[in-house]
Amino acid sequence: MSTGVVQPRPGRIWGFIANALRRMGLSGRTAIILAPTLWLVIFFLIPLIVVFKIALSAFAMGRPPYLPMFEWGADESLTITLHFSNFLFLVRDSLYANAYINSVRIAAISTIIALVIAYPMAWFIARSEEKHRNLLLMLVILPFWTSFLLRVYAWMGFLGRNGIINNTLMGLGIIDEPLVMLQTEGAVFVGIVYTYLPFMVLPLYTALVKLDQSLIEASADLGARPFVTFLTVILPLSLPGIIAGSMLVFIPAIGEFVIPSLLGGADTLMIGRVLWDEFFANRDWPVASAVAIVMLIILIIPIMLLSIAQNAVVEKNQ
Amino acid sequence: MKKPQIAADTRPWRDVDAKPFVRIANVTKTFGDVYAVDDVSLDIYKGELFCLLGGSGSGKSTLLRMLAGFETITSGTIEIDGQDMANVPPYERPVNMMFQSYALFPHMSVENNIAYGLKREGLPKGEIADRVAELLKLTRLENFKARKPHQLSGGQRQRVALARALAKRPKLLLLDEPLGALDKKLREDTQYELVKIQETLGVTFVVVTHDQEEAMSLATRIGVMTDGKIAQIGEPQEIYEFPNSRFVAGFVGSVNMFEGTVTEDEDDHIRIASQEAGCDIYVGHGVDCAPEQILWYAVRPEKMVLSRERPEGDANITHGFVQDVAYLGDMSVFRILLDSGKRVHVTQTNSSRYDPDAISWDEKVYISWASDAGAVLTS
Repeated sequence: MSTGVVQPRPGRIWGFIANALRRMGLSGRTAIILAPTLWLVIFFLIPLIVVFKIALSAFAMGRPPYLPMFEWGADESLTITLHFSNFLFLVRDSLYANAYINSVRIAAISTIIALVIAYPMAWFIARSEEKHRNLLLMLVILPFWTSFLLRVYAWMGFLGRNGIINNTLMGLGIIDEPLVMLQTEGAVFVGIVYTYLPFMVLPLYTALVKLDQSLIEASADLGARPFVTFLTVILPLSLPGIIAGSMLVFIPAIGEFVIPSLLGGADTLMIGRVLWDEFFANRDWPVASAVAIVMLIILIIPIMLLSIAQNAVVEKNQ
Repeated sequence: MKKPQIAADTRPWRDVDAKPFVRIANVTKTFGDVYAVDDVSLDIYKGELFCLLGGSGSGKSTLLRMLAGFETITSGTIEIDGQDMANVPPYERPVNMMFQSYALFPHMSVENNIAYGLKREGLPKGEIADRVAELLKLTRLENFKARKPHQLSGGQRQRVALARALAKRPKLLLLDEPLGALDKKLREDTQYELVKIQETLGVTFVVVTHDQEEAMSLATRIGVMTDGKIAQIGEPQEIYEFPNSRFVAGFVGSVNMFEGTVTEDEDDHIRIASQEAGCDIYVGHGVDCAPEQILWYAVRPEKMVLSRERPEGDANITHGFVQDVAYLGDMSVFRILLDSGKRVHVTQTNSSRYDPDAISWDEKVYISWASDAGAVLTS
């Protein structure tokens, strides 16, 4: 920036800050990018490094419950001790592998169920009259106004042995003894799909509302039956929404802790629960950290794959 | 190109016994309590290029969408090639449509867009490829076949839409404002191309447009629509020279309209006294009217003659003052304020390159017209 140019006089405080930044060699643009970067470094990157460090430490009784990684020796030497045993432990004990696989499986099935339920909902909202759309979207988001925990407890009330569903069915004489619904994998699916459904509906809605009605008419005009139109026109054009919605359901579902522990049975092993147990029941911070790191890696891979796929789709259509 | 020469062949609507290809009978369409299309009856013949002309909200697009099957008919019947279309869904009609927005599939290449309808028919791959190649050639899109719609210009998109609509060799092609999105120059070129393709393939076209010039240059016949009704059906010349109402006369082309009362009503002529014209109007043919009846006389601007000297005669001559001259190159438009206070437009062809004695601003002039120059309108 040339100093010869007459600068407009900014407000006193902002002018002062802007001048100070300029003297430090920072333009306004850099300053704006700097703020979120600093935030991410302090609240995401550094904690992640700390967790990674703990994952490479050895377990110890005491406080903190792990041995230090760096040690100054008497001979002024620095000893860095890296324990990979925690990660090896995860591989050796099949419990962890099972928990990971189970988490991915449950998250994947939940995502598919959510997609199947959300797609017609999003379609209906996108195709309804414009003045009704906001109200319908409001109804989709409405559950968020109540506490998440409360809603999961409500499902316990529905699914329980003496819950509303069993009582109703028995009252109607359809069944003689209560069905076992709570503390099964089915209940976990119900909980996850119910909780994350809005995250699926909203991106699908965004994709479908942009879909030009005349494309559907053109397809019918060219001889495509409604189902063929769905497969060849509507589905491909809503793919970005499907990918975004699936990411928003699949990723948090993998690490889900509350739903499997409240609605799931003892055998519904999910990685979120294992992590909780390692950390709070066993107080084995290093193993818990290793579990967290591996989970992160498992999560990052599908995110990357999906966002690459999404970019490809968006690029293709633009 | 071989063109049939017999009048009855090229103008089947003049033949009383000809069987219409599309028969629209007493069709009404309501949205709530609004009549979008109101009791329309219309016959369209094979090989025609029929234009539905009307302003927005005239019901022309709704009528087209009913032909395509996108709107249900409230009452009445539509027959295409002798088959009642009442319960035939769009995907089973022998009809294809070119959409105003073109409605090209954004995720498919030009080639796949054109092949879409053929694939739905389940044709063998080789035949689809042949047909697509043929259409790409017809619409001069060979070099763009791998492109996506967003990589094309407006004119190219329009041609893809046309090729896609023609791919299934429909008996009837519906075109919704086919040239609406193109600029003027491209529009004129495409117009002729469209007519050429229509004549080559012998497909029946129904075109919806709000542009009267487009309708005049494309159509074999025009149906002028207003308020959901057909105001007049006729060949372009018929619509222009023999409008049946003040609405049609004013909607198609520009016109000078004089209100008057019948003073003489004979078999071979009538005379109208018009205060607006500032003179008597003599019409050289009989008109179905009564003495003292109020009616309107419509004269096109190019059928009026300007002169400084008063021409011979006791009728069809009025006097005014040139307020404005617009030089358009091929012709000049004179805006003249008559002594009666009425403003008229008169056009004169600029047949010579330079006329030092041309009538100009602020001149007093006589305006005259022949006894058969205008149309007598009773509504």
